[in-house]
Amino acid sequence: MPPTLLVIGEVADGHLTKLSAEIATLAAGLAGSSGGTALGLIVDAAPDGAAAELAAYLPRVVSVASAAAADEVWAPHAAAEARRLLDEGVTHVLAGVTNDGRDVAGLLCGALGWGVLANAAGATWEGERLVVEAVVLAGKAITRSTVDAPSAIVTVTPGAADAVGSGAPGRVESREPAGSPVVPAARVLERVAEAGAEASLEEANVVVVGGRGVGGPEGFELVDELAGLLGGVTGASRAAVDAGWIPYARQIGQTGKVVRPALYLSLGVSGAMQHRAGMQGSQNVIAINRDPDAPVAEIADLFVVGDLFAVGPALSAEIRARRGG
Amino acid sequence: MTHNGPILGSTRLTEEQLLLREAVRVLADERVAPRAAAIDREAEFPEDMRQLLAEHDVFAIPFAERHGGLGADLLTLVLAIEQLSRACATTGLLLAVQSLGAIPIQIAGTEEQQDRWLPGLASGEKLIAFGLTEPDAGSDPSGIRTRAVRDGDEYVIDGGKRFISHASVADYVVVFAVTNPEAEKPSRRLSAILVETDRPGFKVARIEHKMGLRGSPTAELAFDGLRVPVGNRLGEEGHGFAIAMQTFERSRPGIAAQAVGIAQGALEAAAAYANQRKQFGRPIGELQMIQALLADMDAATEAARHLLYTACDEIEAGNTHAARWAAIAKLVAGDTAMRVTTDAVQVFGGYGYIDEYPVERMMRDAKITQLYEGTQQIQRLIVARSLLARS
Amino acid sequence: MRILVMTKPVPDPAANAERLGPDLRLDRAASPSVVNGNDEYGLEAALQLVERLGGEVAILTMAPAAGVETMRKALAMGAMRGVLVADDALAGADIPTTIRVLAAAAATQEFDLLLGGLDTSDGAGGAVTAGVAARLGLPLLSAAALIEPDEAGRTVRVRRLSAKGYDVLQAPMPAVISCTQVLGTPRYPSLKGIMAARSRQITTLSVADLGGDLLPGGGQWPSRVLGVQPPPSRAAGRTITAAPADAAREIADFLAERRLI
Repeated sequence: MPPTLLVIGEVADGHLTKLSAEIATLAAGLAGSSGGTALGLIVDAAPDGAAAELAAYLPRVVSVASAAAADEVWAPHAAAEARRLLDEGVTHVLAGVTNDGRDVAGLLCGALGWGVLANAAGATWEGERLVVEAVVLAGKAITRSTVDAPSAIVTVTPGAADAVGSGAPGRVESREPAGSPVVPAARVLERVAEAGAEASLEEANVVVVGGRGVGGPEGFELVDELAGLLGGVTGASRAAVDAGWIPYARQIGQTGKVVRPALYLSLGVSGAMQHRAGMQGSQNVIAINRDPDAPVAEIADLFVVGDLFAVGPALSAEIRARRGG
Repeated sequence: MTHNGPILGSTRLTEEQLLLREAVRVLADERVAPRAAAIDREAEFPEDMRQLLAEHDVFAIPFAERHGGLGADLLTLVLAIEQLSRACATTGLLLAVQSLGAIPIQIAGTEEQQDRWLPGLASGEKLIAFGLTEPDAGSDPSGIRTRAVRDGDEYVIDGGKRFISHASVADYVVVFAVTNPEAEKPSRRLSAILVETDRPGFKVARIEHKMGLRGSPTAELAFDGLRVPVGNRLGEEGHGFAIAMQTFERSRPGIAAQAVGIAQGALEAAAAYANQRKQFGRPIGELQMIQALLADMDAATEAARHLLYTACDEIEAGNTHAARWAAIAKLVAGDTAMRVTTDAVQVFGGYGYIDEYPVERMMRDAKITQLYEGTQQIQRLIVARSLLARS
Repeated sequence: MRILVMTKPVPDPAANAERLGPDLRLDRAASPSVVNGNDEYGLEAALQLVERLGGEVAILTMAPAAGVETMRKALAMGAMRGVLVADDALAGADIPTTIRVLAAAAATQEFDLLLGGLDTSDGAGGAVTAGVAARLGLPLLSAAALIEPDEAGRTVRVRRLSAKGYDVLQAPMPAVISCTQVLGTPRYPSLKGIMAARSRQITTLSVADLGGDLLPGGGQWPSRVLGVQPPPSRAAGRTITAAPADAAREIADFLAERRLI
């Protein structure tokens, strides 16, 4: 039986997320190489925009306009819609490694009992089985895993595939919502935006990170300045977050965000394994630390031993000078 | 420092002892260690450390649950003293002296006396000191001159004590005084009497300036017409000497624990330094002479530790030779602490001699473990006599 | 307030010694076990809630029999009792089985809130707590940064971490909540807590005790690891120690070469 892969798309500010586009590309590729099919699902109060965007990657997108999804948590509704599609022969469900995506994956696993292949950074077929590659144990190893069953739930990390449109826009089918969410859905009373929390770290091309060496919230002004100059986003190590200098939303590491920028520049970050787990996919790593034995030196392409409060401003001045201003 | 601790097999400690040791270790690393240098430099009683231990139920360890204690065994107390002393020997002594002073009440006090005094000690609200030593009575308790004369339902105490740890900050001092001067055997002349330090006639005559343990006030006391109720006597008249000797069986392991803790702290500091300090192009830890020093220090500390833990088990189990176990543990631990801290200074070289690094303090602190709670010479007498008696 | 907290013993991340064994399963003997971080944050939140509102915290763990040790620490922190599901048949259990077993065990307990970690430091799947909610048919409030039950109203409010800050959720109790580090640093067990834990009860259950069809048939877990390899090594980097202005120049050259400025 050829597989049918269902991509559960996520929507942010009315648009399809970059991660969902990557997963859709991955799914389309897997469908192609197995003679199977791939389809997408958008569940949102106003799904049309995101559904059309997802259709750039997949031949068929089921678009569910769910008023409930506006005032209630999304995952129980998305999971219910996904479950409905099982009747149409879905064998593999793909969701993103995000809080929402993992919630859907978990709810479906509880409801269906299907095996879960988590944190897939890549996926291929070996015979009829889907085999995924995942980085495990804070980056200590890469595993290849599978489920010995015709169906599975997969959660996919950013960067597993580059988002590439299929060339021919797929068909969007609008549907009425299923009826009941997979579990009673909690109500959303309020959505609060916190200053400093909005940070598209996972999608950033440049990330400038402050660690314990930054010494306090004021130290992050230097980090922000360099981030601004380099067109990047400010991140933090867990030490800085635990010290209360910067919100948790900025934390990079095993218990925070995982980033894969073209440039990762850190100031005063020691580089413990749990932090490295969140940035070891960075293409270029520059670290500034006054401790010559800091573990971050092991993965830095350029390790600068020095006082970040001297090197940082000097770097800022140098960049400005080269830009002629 | 977190994972540099002694590689202690969980085979010999119970789950509970492991958890307790860990809890005290974290407290010591996070809250005590940062204060150690200042406590030594300022040479003032660390009231904040006393509060810390009280808040965290550390004082409660050697007391029975019915007195508000944790009802823990001797080994558990020793684990706590060791972990604290690793960071700061003065702070370790807070617990050691509290448990020392309480022992006479625990072994000789009536239930009423125990209910009266022990809960305050367990909570750390009250501090206690142990007043045996006098200017002419150190190793030789028969030199004790302090008199407690019965007058109606009171004793009147005259005399003085010297080298009494914490007596200047304590609420109670267990004073060993002569109540039976005519008794045939010198060992039947003393009684143990608990004195509340706010009574008239109790005076702190001076505080010593010491080589080490400088945050711990060591007091000379003067008693002048000091009246205490007869109800403050612990045990019978004439039993004071026996009470003191029995006390040492349980208190010497505490000092041994302090010594092992000091040694461990010095060992860790030296090992960390050896990894960092570069000479001749590499960390000095790669040089064989340094490695030899460190290896011997580690072996000695580990051996002292396990002898101490075994002694605790034996004493707790009521071994007839408890006195010998206490003495042998204290003997080995004290000498080990002195040797290991001296070698630690050696590892540091010139830097070991200055107060930028903790080992010079640790070496100064270590020395007292060879002197108090019975000098090493007294411990040797006890061990030899026990051996010969068994032979 | 009755709060049941699911805790999983995991290799201590601080020991940094996690590895897979020759059977390609996590080698749990390689490092000491501790309670999974996110579970502990949940446990701390639960303890604070019952301190404020009255009630009791209980622990639920699925683990080998040695799991009792990490449960003792949770009891020492203040949990009143524990339920341990220990069974040789569960060695290496996959996510669906773990979900079924935990849900079945939780169903034997009474609770207003069922807490679990958002994910674990060893598996990092992030599916179990949600899956348990699905099996029990209870509301799921995930990625909690703050938990505020309203006992009188029989509802609970949770701040859920979002990309922009947080959402305030509300659901009727009983409810399932997945917990994050933002809930706050777990207390260290007090010495009194450690001693009190001695007398607290840990009930051990086997799969048979839970009844029902919890194990997949066939004697092997459907989800399995086929192979493991070390991560790709990075090319060795360069270290520079120079005056700030010179260091800045070298960094800028590096960036320019790679068209990052």
